[in-house]
Amino acid sequence: MMRVLAIALVAALVLVGASLDTSAQSDAPPIKIGYAISRTGPFAPGAQATQEPSYILWAEQVNAAGGLNVKGQKRKIELVSYDDRSEVETIVRTFEKLMVTDKVDLILPPWGSTANFAVAPLADKHGYPVLAPTALSMKLVDMKLPNFFSMLPQPYVLMAAAADMLAANGVKTVAVIYMDDVFGLENIAAFEPAVKAKGIEIVDKKSYPLGIKDLSPVLRAIKDKNPDAFVGLTYPPDTILASKQSKEIGFNPKVFFTAVGTAFPLYKQVMGADSDGVSGIGSWSVKTSPAAKAYFDAHVKRFQKEPDRWASAHCWAGLQILQAAIEKVGMDRKAIREYIASNEHATIIGPVRFKGSEIQFPGTVGQWVGGDFEVVWPANRATAKLVVPKPAWK
Amino acid sequence: MRLWIELVVSGLITGGIYALVAMGLNLQYGLMRILNVSHGEFLMLGAYLTYWAYLVMHLSPFVFLPPLLVGLFVVGLVVHRLCFRRLAETTPEVEAFEARSLLVGFGLMFVVQNVALLVWGADLRGYQYLAGTVSIAGVGFTANRLVAFAAALVLGLGLIAVLRATLLGRAVRAMMQSPTGALLVGIDVRRLHPAVFGVGLALAGAAGALLSMVFEISPSMGEPYTVTALIVIALGGFGSVTGSLLGGLLLGVVEAIGMHLTSPSLKMVLSYGVFMLVLITRPNGLFVR
Repeated sequence: MMRVLAIALVAALVLVGASLDTSAQSDAPPIKIGYAISRTGPFAPGAQATQEPSYILWAEQVNAAGGLNVKGQKRKIELVSYDDRSEVETIVRTFEKLMVTDKVDLILPPWGSTANFAVAPLADKHGYPVLAPTALSMKLVDMKLPNFFSMLPQPYVLMAAAADMLAANGVKTVAVIYMDDVFGLENIAAFEPAVKAKGIEIVDKKSYPLGIKDLSPVLRAIKDKNPDAFVGLTYPPDTILASKQSKEIGFNPKVFFTAVGTAFPLYKQVMGADSDGVSGIGSWSVKTSPAAKAYFDAHVKRFQKEPDRWASAHCWAGLQILQAAIEKVGMDRKAIREYIASNEHATIIGPVRFKGSEIQFPGTVGQWVGGDFEVVWPANRATAKLVVPKPAWK
Repeated sequence: MRLWIELVVSGLITGGIYALVAMGLNLQYGLMRILNVSHGEFLMLGAYLTYWAYLVMHLSPFVFLPPLLVGLFVVGLVVHRLCFRRLAETTPEVEAFEARSLLVGFGLMFVVQNVALLVWGADLRGYQYLAGTVSIAGVGFTANRLVAFAAALVLGLGLIAVLRATLLGRAVRAMMQSPTGALLVGIDVRRLHPAVFGVGLALAGAAGALLSMVFEISPSMGEPYTVTALIVIALGGFGSVTGSLLGGLLLGVVEAIGMHLTSPSLKMVLSYGVFMLVLITRPNGLFVR
């Protein structure tokens, strides 16, 4: 019986998944673009909110227009996709298979810092350029992989913007929680020097694991220290958990900032009027540009759900860059890489270029203002005015 | 002092859900030796159905709870008929049956999880229900967590009462203590087994319904609860439903206090630490006489 129990415990940790293939038909040989992304497991909510819908929408829009123009020939896109089950081994194995066995023409990146950290060196080895919309990792950037491009500004840029915003609003003390994976560790490492440079004191700092169900013991201790600001370097479920439980214990600091998921439509759905004044990482809204509005509307029409107000648009911008590269230089991956690295690109988040692996894009802060998630910092990118102090939880 | 009250109550609330999940699983295991690792998937199913009822029909989770219990009970009957009855008939040895039921459980896990993925997608989903804050002795708690705890406790104690006081309950307990003896005194296994399996699933579904009020739901939400339930069962003792109730509450409190004193990152270490400690010192469970 004990042995069976042991097997059960070990085996129950194994995640479940399925794989689906979507394919398009065309006369000219289609461009095969492969990817593995989380449809099951703990990464799935983020991947499905931010990333895969844009891949599908992009392929459908391109194919509806007859395909990509490759050297005078219209070629449709065939997506070869797999569920990576949120497991790093599966992610690596699947991408290896896509590049080595399936020999797809191009690949699209997986979701999240951890997954991209695993895939980027592999893709680079096989010479596949990757425009990653959800990778925050200086370690990855510092590898200086020629084929890796990050569509998001890195933690030091984001955290400097957050620290700027805090300091400009008179915050003297801050409590921070962070998830103990690549994302949380990289961001806390960037956050600490950024706030110290602004003379802000960190009064409490706690890590927590993925899948946490109760943060109230930590939040109650933080509340007792009464910091001016709360910063959660969190993932979607814990972003909501931290918000709900802060309300529960009546912890309402001047600035309440949570990371991934704050910009998700789900946040407003579950927090209702309480979302008002909550800050987070966000970089665009429908007010950013007409192209951004068009993307937003197409996304809602196709999936009956809104894109998130941060990395979704960066994901779309990456696809725009890839499309431009293919139509300009054809299917040669080396030429595509060169094109991406050395040009300025027009995208829905504005003109961008790369310096090494890093996108040249300012750090931004978003906030729920009047029922929508708007960019509030820095002023030249803002689509709404920052609200500080945060209104009380309703 | 206030902090400790907060921590203990917070732990009890989490523990109440643990207990409810573990009781259902323990009932199935204690009575039939079915190690149903897909238990958490039926919790997830309960959560999604409650979410869906709230969203589409605007039904309060508590109004929806009775039909949900009946619905999952029927699902339990069907699953037992399709999967476990044949298995029990073809596998007389208990050890082999346990191992095989484990495999069937895994199969079910794949099926149920992927059905949920197809129907609802992988997105996190949630709704607002009783999201206001209630103050008890100066300590604030979200109303939905408190009612979820109360409901878990009522269901758990109700189950114990049924097992203790009714003829049906006595039959179930007799089966747990001595399957052969129970057969000899004329307890109808062919009717009792599916029913108890159904009750187990109904309890999982109820736990899911309560969880959906408090947390965001996703198709993969069930697995961690299956793992926790196995730990709770080991704590409380195999086949001891009361033990599962106490074990669940205990684990919740240990986690809350432990996380406060150390770090939330050590939550799994704390759970498994308690688990191993019990296995070493009281291998039959804390509450087994």
